[in-house]
Amino acid sequence: MPPKTDKKFHFDQAFTELEQITEWFEKEDIDLEEGLTKFERGLEIARKLKERLGEVENRVETIKQKFADVVEDDSVEETV
Amino acid sequence: MHIFQVSEFILYFNDAVRSFMNEQQMAIEGEVAEYKVSQQRFVWFKIKDADGVLDCFAMLFSLKQPIEDGMKVRVYGYPKIFHRSGKLSINIARVELVGEGALKRAFELMKKKLSDEGLFSTERKRPIPRIPERIALITSPEAAAYTDFLRILNNRWSGVEIHLAPVAVQGRDAVANIVGAFRYINKHATQYDVVVLTRGGGSMEDLAAFNDEAVARAIFSSAVPVVVGVGHERDETIADYVADVRASTPTNAAERVVPDRRDVRFAVTSRVQIMEHVLTRAMERRAARLHQSLGRLSEHVGGVVRRVRSGIESFQRSGIRFGIAVQEKNTAVSVMANHMTLGMGHHLGRRQERFVALQRLLASLDPKAVLRRGYAMVRDTGGRVVKDPDTVDVGAQITIQLAGGSLGARVISSSGQTSLPL
Repeated sequence: MPPKTDKKFHFDQAFTELEQITEWFEKEDIDLEEGLTKFERGLEIARKLKERLGEVENRVETIKQKFADVVEDDSVEETV
Repeated sequence: MHIFQVSEFILYFNDAVRSFMNEQQMAIEGEVAEYKVSQQRFVWFKIKDADGVLDCFAMLFSLKQPIEDGMKVRVYGYPKIFHRSGKLSINIARVELVGEGALKRAFELMKKKLSDEGLFSTERKRPIPRIPERIALITSPEAAAYTDFLRILNNRWSGVEIHLAPVAVQGRDAVANIVGAFRYINKHATQYDVVVLTRGGGSMEDLAAFNDEAVARAIFSSAVPVVVGVGHERDETIADYVADVRASTPTNAAERVVPDRRDVRFAVTSRVQIMEHVLTRAMERRAARLHQSLGRLSEHVGGVVRRVRSGIESFQRSGIRFGIAVQEKNTAVSVMANHMTLGMGHHLGRRQERFVALQRLLASLDPKAVLRRGYAMVRDTGGRVVKDPDTVDVGAQITIQLAGGSLGARVISSSGQTSLPL
């Protein structure tokens, strides 16, 4: 399983970035060039978020492990 | 017939009895009395019923639950005669609480103990991410709590991964399973955003694992924030107090751990709209400033046109001496100038064109162009243009400049007229 700290898209981080960009826009007088750049980034994030929102399923996997004694080699297998 | 020495007898007795009276074979049930702990390690108490009493001995670490006088318990162990005193004691391997009252009391004691240690402290409770990517779920997959949790989760959100750690949520193995699951999750802590520990409702005996000290400590030392949702609203377990987030039920746990996709979709859309709105206003302001600038530019060009026109007028005046009619040219310039001013706001690109036209017009008023129409310019020996006959003497040398070249000439006579018939 890829750890969540790699480059995989993390919804929470992306959403937080979108909130930060919107906060910047709520200033009274914005610089037009910077605004256009930030807007582009904001749209890109929004597009990715909407894409993730379009996903239909959650995935359930069972950890195959006897929990009475946790040993070094553990494995995760998929269930239906 | 065997003659024993005293200590020999005690050893024999203890061995013999232990072979069929031990913690695997039996337990003794009764009420606790005269409970005391010595040197923080040795526990002594009596166990009794209406007609009898027995001494009990245990090591403190083997007692998994707090014991108090008056509690009804089951002790598992073996009887032995202590060499020094000759007294019989039950040597205890483990103790179980019996009955709602005992369990409740133990719960109160454990709650106080852990609270005093700071396990319930609000300061250490960690926030859970608003939108998790991967959830570790500790529960029994056979229980209704599991299906309830998943159903609500699926209703609200998609695209999340759930890793199920299947455990017993009650019974003998429950505590070991749950503690083991937390140990596993801690080893892979970077993979998980949140842990959910959940089960359905039940009696105090059913919920015993969730009031267990080892489970409480496992939740407390979890590297990943923990959401605990047990049974019904009114059920309160120690696990609930230690949790980073307490959910009232398995369903509520699902509500706490993922957002509703409709809310998130709305939040994304409204943020984009805010950005669009602000950006549009900024662009309108910029356009207004540009419009102002164009207005000033238009004025500036108008100024240029006026200067050109006055230049033409003074040219006109000198042109009269040459007998040139420039009237119609001025009108053309006026028309062009009007076009320019009117069209400025919309046809900036054609400004260039207009200026070129004006240049051509000016060029046509150039003296050289006049010469090409057959007129001549007269200069004296100093090269100065002769406008007045009085400025040259009769017999003086003059140069007549024509379009195609010049003539050298001498003044024969002078008539003194300053204007030619038009």
